[in-house]
Amino acid sequence: MDGFDMMDSGTEGPTVTIRKADSTRADFVLSNVDLAFANSIRRIILAEVPTLAIDLVEVINNSSVLPDELLSHRLGLVPLESSNIDEKMLYTRDCDCDGYCERCSVVLTLVAKCTGDRNVTVYARDLAVAAGAQLGSPVITDEAQKGSIICKLRKGQELNLKCIAKKGIAKEHAKWQPCAAVAFEYDPHNKLKHVDYWYETDAKAEWPKSANAGWEEPPQENEPFDYNAVPTKFYVDVETVGSLQPDEILRQGIKYLQEKLATVIAGVQKTAGEGAAAAAGADVGGMDDGYGGARSPDMGDANGYGRNFNDGYVTPYGGAGGAGAGAQTPFGGYGGGGYSNGGWP
Amino acid sequence: MADHDESLPDAPEYATSNIAGSEPSDDDEPLDLTHENNAKIIMLGTATDDDSCASFQFENEDHTLGNALRWIIMKNPQVEFCGYSIPHPSETKMNMRIQTYGEITAKDALIKGLADLRDLCDVVTDKFIAEKERFVAEKGN
Repeated sequence: MDGFDMMDSGTEGPTVTIRKADSTRADFVLSNVDLAFANSIRRIILAEVPTLAIDLVEVINNSSVLPDELLSHRLGLVPLESSNIDEKMLYTRDCDCDGYCERCSVVLTLVAKCTGDRNVTVYARDLAVAAGAQLGSPVITDEAQKGSIICKLRKGQELNLKCIAKKGIAKEHAKWQPCAAVAFEYDPHNKLKHVDYWYETDAKAEWPKSANAGWEEPPQENEPFDYNAVPTKFYVDVETVGSLQPDEILRQGIKYLQEKLATVIAGVQKTAGEGAAAAAGADVGGMDDGYGGARSPDMGDANGYGRNFNDGYVTPYGGAGGAGAGAQTPFGGYGGGGYSNGGWP
Repeated sequence: MADHDESLPDAPEYATSNIAGSEPSDDDEPLDLTHENNAKIIMLGTATDDDSCASFQFENEDHTLGNALRWIIMKNPQVEFCGYSIPHPSETKMNMRIQTYGEITAKDALIKGLADLRDLCDVVTDKFIAEKERFVAEKGN
């Protein structure tokens, strides 16, 4: 590839600096990329990384005060353990079964009844995953190991539900969001004037400093406005709901961005093939290696993320590495800690 | 130029360049139409005779792909202009216009942009993994 200079600085490539990380959170700085690219990552981890969530509820008995619809909605929002979902599960629409099967769904049952005088609280831990399911257990992070509250039952009330959890993305419904929030900031001193602060008398005095302000040089007094400046440092804080580890969300996000690209590349080449008979196909632009076309999630390449796009490629940044060591969980075991979240490194 | 709605304009140069004895590559396996992100792309029109300018329409794509792709295509010094728009918020379509200085076709610029963005993704993934390993090692001590 004839490398043209893709970095604005021209010296170093993209840089990642992790500031804080644990099993539910990753706070990092992404530098030397463009705003457009950083924003693509933010958008894709918010909306297009698949997780597992309850999608169908068969109500066998519900004599609680909550209507079936409300109960189903609450169940849908319970985070379910979804790590490596791409290797373990298909989208129902890609599966050959009628309705649902164990390849494209996880069945959870919820049976609860209040018999005593005291009210019973039904928690996420009471959802029983079908035996043999590789994932889908409710995410429980609280000290008491109960999980989120689903419902409360008075004497004589009972619940008997069959919940079918499916794979999906947050673009379709927010219950599939892997991230509770993605903080995204650049230019904390507003040197670029992308923000026009409202103020009574003095914007500087009235607006608090961003937490990221210490990571950049504050502007000099009467510093002239640099109209050529572009944002290069992006402060990202990925906060998960617990269904996926933050680093997996990020890697999956980038993988899905690459998958979009591969799909478009395949589309361009397919279009070329139609236009110019059989021959035109693959070699447009001399890129005949290893795209593999569209990757359906069921193709399950063993090591987790987009290595298949990568074979034998040299990038303008020098060697698209083979560094990725597959999908080991880096931030320690899920729930089991392995990691204390004290001060910044 | 023929009407605007044809799925792809004449592209004789591709037809002639590669015709002798090259078997169709494995990359040409049919697209899986059940995959929801299966973007279809069509070429809208070129407005010039030499294919140096073209508009493309992407289906099922939005700012996530559009803005990053626009940026990386504009990084190519052979490209004069690249811009994208989402013509209507309730249609999942994204239009992209590419004009080159004439040394490469707009389609080549698009393909190069896609490949470059993919490589950038690889680099960021590798950087992230390396940084994560460094962070974990540091924390472990």
